[in-house]
Amino acid sequence: MSSIQLLLANDKKPGIKNYTAYRANGGYQSVEKALGNMSPDEVTEDVKKSGLRGRGGAGFPTGMKWSFLAKPEGVPRYLVVNADESEPGTFKDRYLMEFIPHLLIEGMVVASYALGANVSYIYIRGEYAWIVDILEQAIVEAKQNGFLGKNILGKGYDLEIYVQRGAGAYICGEETALLESLEGRRGNPRIKPPFPAVKGLWGCPTVVNNVETIAAVVPIINMTGDEYAKIGVGRSTGTKLISACGNINKPGVYEIDMTCSVEEFIFSEEYCGGIPNGKRLKACIPGGSSVPILPANLLLKTAKGETRYMNYESLSDGGFETGSMMGSGGFIVLDEDQCVVRHTMTLARFYHHESCGQCSPCREGTGWMHKILKSIENGTGKMSDIELLWDIQRKIEGNTICPLGDAAAWPVAAAIRHFRDEFEWHVTHPAEAMAGNYPF
Amino acid sequence: MFEISRPTSAIENSTKVKTKIAYINDTPFTFIPGETILTFVRRNLGENLVPTLCDAPNLDPFGSCRICSVDVALVQNGNAKAMASCHTPVLENSFIYPTSGRIQKLRKNIIELVLTDHPLDCLTCEVNNNCELQTVAAQVGVRDVRYPEGKNHVDRKKDLSHPYMTSDMSKCINCFRCVRACDEVQGQFVLSMAGRGFDSHIVKGSNQSFFESDCVSCGACAQACPTSAISDVFESKSIVATEKTRTICTYCGVGCNLEVSTVQGEIKSIQAPFDAKVNSGHTCLKGRYAFKFYNHKERLRYPLIKKDGEFVEATWDEAYDFIASKLTEIKTNYGADAIGGISSARCTNEENYLMQKFIRTVIGTNNIDSCARVCHSPTALGMQRTFGTGAATNSVVDLKYTDAIMVIGANPTEGHPVTGAKMKQFAMKGKTSIVIDPRRTEMAKYATYHLQTKPGTNVAILNMMLYYIIQENAEDKSFIENRTEGYADFKQHVLSMDMNELEAITGVDKELVRKAALAYASAPNAMSFHGLGVTEHSQGTFTVMLIADLAMITGNIGRRGVGVNPLRGQNNVQGAADMGCQPHQGAGYFDVTNAEYHAKYESFYGVKLPNYVGLKIPQMYDAAIDGKFKALWLMGEDNVQTDPNTNHVKKALANLELLVVQELFMTETAKLADVILPAASFLEKSGTFTNGERRIQKVNAVVKPIAGTKTDGQIIIDIMNKMGANEPDYNPAILLEEISKIVPFFAGVKWDELGDNGKQWPVLADGSDTEILHTESFKLGKGQFKKATWKESSELTDNQKDYPFILTTNRELEHYNCGAQTRRTGNADILLTDTLMIHPTDAETYLINEGDMVCVESARGKIDVKARITDEVKQGILSSTFHYPEVNMNILTSSVTDTDALCPEYKVCAVRIRKSKGKYKVS
Repeated sequence: MSSIQLLLANDKKPGIKNYTAYRANGGYQSVEKALGNMSPDEVTEDVKKSGLRGRGGAGFPTGMKWSFLAKPEGVPRYLVVNADESEPGTFKDRYLMEFIPHLLIEGMVVASYALGANVSYIYIRGEYAWIVDILEQAIVEAKQNGFLGKNILGKGYDLEIYVQRGAGAYICGEETALLESLEGRRGNPRIKPPFPAVKGLWGCPTVVNNVETIAAVVPIINMTGDEYAKIGVGRSTGTKLISACGNINKPGVYEIDMTCSVEEFIFSEEYCGGIPNGKRLKACIPGGSSVPILPANLLLKTAKGETRYMNYESLSDGGFETGSMMGSGGFIVLDEDQCVVRHTMTLARFYHHESCGQCSPCREGTGWMHKILKSIENGTGKMSDIELLWDIQRKIEGNTICPLGDAAAWPVAAAIRHFRDEFEWHVTHPAEAMAGNYPF
Repeated sequence: MFEISRPTSAIENSTKVKTKIAYINDTPFTFIPGETILTFVRRNLGENLVPTLCDAPNLDPFGSCRICSVDVALVQNGNAKAMASCHTPVLENSFIYPTSGRIQKLRKNIIELVLTDHPLDCLTCEVNNNCELQTVAAQVGVRDVRYPEGKNHVDRKKDLSHPYMTSDMSKCINCFRCVRACDEVQGQFVLSMAGRGFDSHIVKGSNQSFFESDCVSCGACAQACPTSAISDVFESKSIVATEKTRTICTYCGVGCNLEVSTVQGEIKSIQAPFDAKVNSGHTCLKGRYAFKFYNHKERLRYPLIKKDGEFVEATWDEAYDFIASKLTEIKTNYGADAIGGISSARCTNEENYLMQKFIRTVIGTNNIDSCARVCHSPTALGMQRTFGTGAATNSVVDLKYTDAIMVIGANPTEGHPVTGAKMKQFAMKGKTSIVIDPRRTEMAKYATYHLQTKPGTNVAILNMMLYYIIQENAEDKSFIENRTEGYADFKQHVLSMDMNELEAITGVDKELVRKAALAYASAPNAMSFHGLGVTEHSQGTFTVMLIADLAMITGNIGRRGVGVNPLRGQNNVQGAADMGCQPHQGAGYFDVTNAEYHAKYESFYGVKLPNYVGLKIPQMYDAAIDGKFKALWLMGEDNVQTDPNTNHVKKALANLELLVVQELFMTETAKLADVILPAASFLEKSGTFTNGERRIQKVNAVVKPIAGTKTDGQIIIDIMNKMGANEPDYNPAILLEEISKIVPFFAGVKWDELGDNGKQWPVLADGSDTEILHTESFKLGKGQFKKATWKESSELTDNQKDYPFILTTNRELEHYNCGAQTRRTGNADILLTDTLMIHPTDAETYLINEGDMVCVESARGKIDVKARITDEVKQGILSSTFHYPEVNMNILTSSVTDTDALCPEYKVCAVRIRKSKGKYKVS
């Protein structure tokens, strides 16, 4: 384990799910500190200083996002926690909420205080039904102990937290679709501007943050933003949760301080423990299903030949031509037996299924990408299909209301960019492709 | 941070802000902050440069089709990003490239993708050559589709369940325009998108057919749909018309602008023009679809004279000769005052003017009235007494600027659908709305406060509101001080009332009344709207005065977003009164008994005129029964079906020596006539209508009068000339010139200058019009506070013992008044009959089930009507309509009238009920 554990320091402690053990291990100190000694603006300032970046995927600086929140007189403001963790390969938030629910509640109290919200919501993925009970239990306990509800710690600050389940749509992880769904409507993304910071939930200024982001507020307040900023490297400050899966010996959720290399992360016993059965590393999707796939050579070293590290800057080094993204921290490893065409088709099917249908390019385009990939994978594709596929993803990317279009386009683009020979082989070897006899 | 503005509002604001620069194809243009790229490009380089599919002029930007994408760079020829121009605000100093090669390719690709799931059967498609998808596909140059045939939705079934609305969802391109029209324009929420992604599809209600759904057939979706996915049986949006004519709807006082398509002289369809000030692209099922009555086989096509109880076909000359000799005879035998006329608020200003001119100058009596008597006469009187002008003080557009609305005795979503939809949108946004109504109307369901009064207690509830405003010191003291008179006395009177007593009378919790009163008083700008639920009472005029008092006490008069705004029922009821179809006032509201005005009229018309007040409608009936009133001329009104106490009306008409009726159809009244003159409908004539916000709009003949008929105006002119006058043929331009010389507030009205959107009176001599009345001072100088004390209607005090229920009357969206027109259109397939609303508990007590026939009996008579069990009415209250002659609801209603304006009390009728034994059942 990394020496620095800010979020998962106590996850294995007995009874940590419950208030008593959580409190005994230093829980809710950040609430005491923030409400006791700090003004809301000072809390925001500390988060700014920490350099914390959004852990949902986009990596936008959290303190800056908070400071954009409009504060018109007499209008309520809301904090909405995005717990609609649906990106294939990503399960870090589930781990946090399931095993250390009070960490999220604690972070929400501090963040809501900073934002001036008196009502906050956790919008949680519908499939995480059992976690709803865990969170609601934590909310009850926090209330019973004066950290939530009316007049928290006697400081005159009120906060209610509600948990709302989604109904199984990936699109509701997009913040404005999430808000629509939370309001009881069809989960279609909204056009921007106006941004949620101005017109969000119920038309009021709203901050939408990822679970891990809000959890990270707790150590930031406890240790101060300046201290937090010293962890990590460059603009990748603090620690990051990575959910690792695929062809590795030790799948799971790891907290890293963003100074370790990708190679170390995959092969060290501390983290993934290498590839099973002595197989060769073929490729990896380092940040959740929508970020570009990288072949092993570009994964471990950048195009410039430098070691690639597990942080925002290094993972994106080289742009989409030769790099990828930190994304949501869903780290998917592929060994030599995996077929990239098949893998990409699976992802395309997912995005086709999850497109909300609002924008023409995404509604129609995701369907065609899936159809064409299926046909190539089945050995019925043509060489011109590869060009058509490329053309479609180009027309989707950047041309939709929300980033789902981009998320659908990027994996296809990267697969063709780095593994064109596999696509071509499928076209030229239909029988083998059908039988799944891959030469690579 | 950012607000997206439509071009109009952006331009309205443009004077206030400094303009900024952005570049289109490297040429600098000034933009208006907040303006979208699309409006910016269109404003400068024309409508057609950037194609769109999901954008529509009356809907908010949506951004789903992405066809409108343009390249935007921060420096000249810099790195460009494609942005959806319809919802992206222009950025200062940005470089916009609306037709770059990359963008054109993008558009082509998107259309190509859309076409993979769209039937390519253009030649046989309803909207061929009128299809936005087709146009855009041609514009971006799609010639082939590179995708192989795949899964699609082209086999979706058509929905032809509805008399008007149709759908063929195989043509749907998922642009959401219909859904947004249903939400944003009508506020009905019938259409929605179900399914996700490729499975996205439009559903009606809970996946029902149009007919089964809650659709109100406004047609906004059909007009919005860019393809033929949603359309109507008239193919309104795609009809290839030989001519399109702008005119004004005749179905209510909103005054919607219509665009009527004709093919070789036959009316085929009606659309709502987007540039119409009143209705901006919207209208209701009556305006849009209920026009097929105009050439219905039952239209009267030749004059009829009754001989030995049978109608005999006659020529126009025979009919005129008969009438002229009969009128002359009656005038000789009984005097001019034995003759009278009732004009029509459905007819044009010019025709109404002619009608009163005929009765006054040719017959020589002031016995001229109009159907304003039975609807808004108390409004005119009450507002004249308090403000000096009996007309709406403000305009419907003020809904955009107000903070609170109060709707009293009106059901705008049924009676005034376009204004109603706007009010509903207002209430749905959570803005303060107060509804005072005995029924839980659609507006009441959305309102912040619903004061559900017992019918006939408006004076009591308004006094309660006034009491709490005074008690809580919420008056606008400076307005009262500077603009009004009589407040001290008024205040003392209001404060002397006992709120517990009034609470018991109205049946409304006084705390709720207090809250509503304070909400109205504390809003920076509050508007009131009222309808026939205010006026058609024994205390109608008093109620109007109290509404005016409420506006004055809170200073809500004389600026944007405030005022007292009667929702006029008929399309030209304002005009009928303006033109002098009242027994006490001539054209322009001058008192006929005032020597100065009398002399003015005599010199203007060049004849001797009576200088005493004539008979009002109810007085005409009484005089006829007494044998003093012998001849009545009715222009387009079915008094037998629509006036209260049918048997009384019939008795009066039967007692006449001559009843002349100008009509489109053989109405219940026409059946009793001695002579019927077949008239032309509004679609067949020109003239002007004045809507509920004083807007004088041009009615343009769409087609020639149906063979054998004449316009009402020409008929009046013919008979005038037959009786010695010398009027030129009916010509609205010439008549308006005459009217402008006698009606001061028409001084600057000229036919050629009215344009498509008309002018709001007073129109000054220089042609400028007036949106808001009483801005500086009232017509009376100072506003007059008028007090009123609640009094139980004699209908109840006399009959309540034997008739314990209160029946009130209302309107349904589908039908218009007597229904002579709407019952002869597809509307009759939507609403088949009148129904009686009854509370579930009462229904249970009387063992009445939904749809059972109920026998309803009042002191005047009894009828059978079908039950509709609903909690829209309170226990002990019943409500029904009088659209169907088969039901004949007005047999029940009473002859009690408003004490001052003689408007009948349709809204309070003591009745008893039982389950019908079938005796009065309609076959």
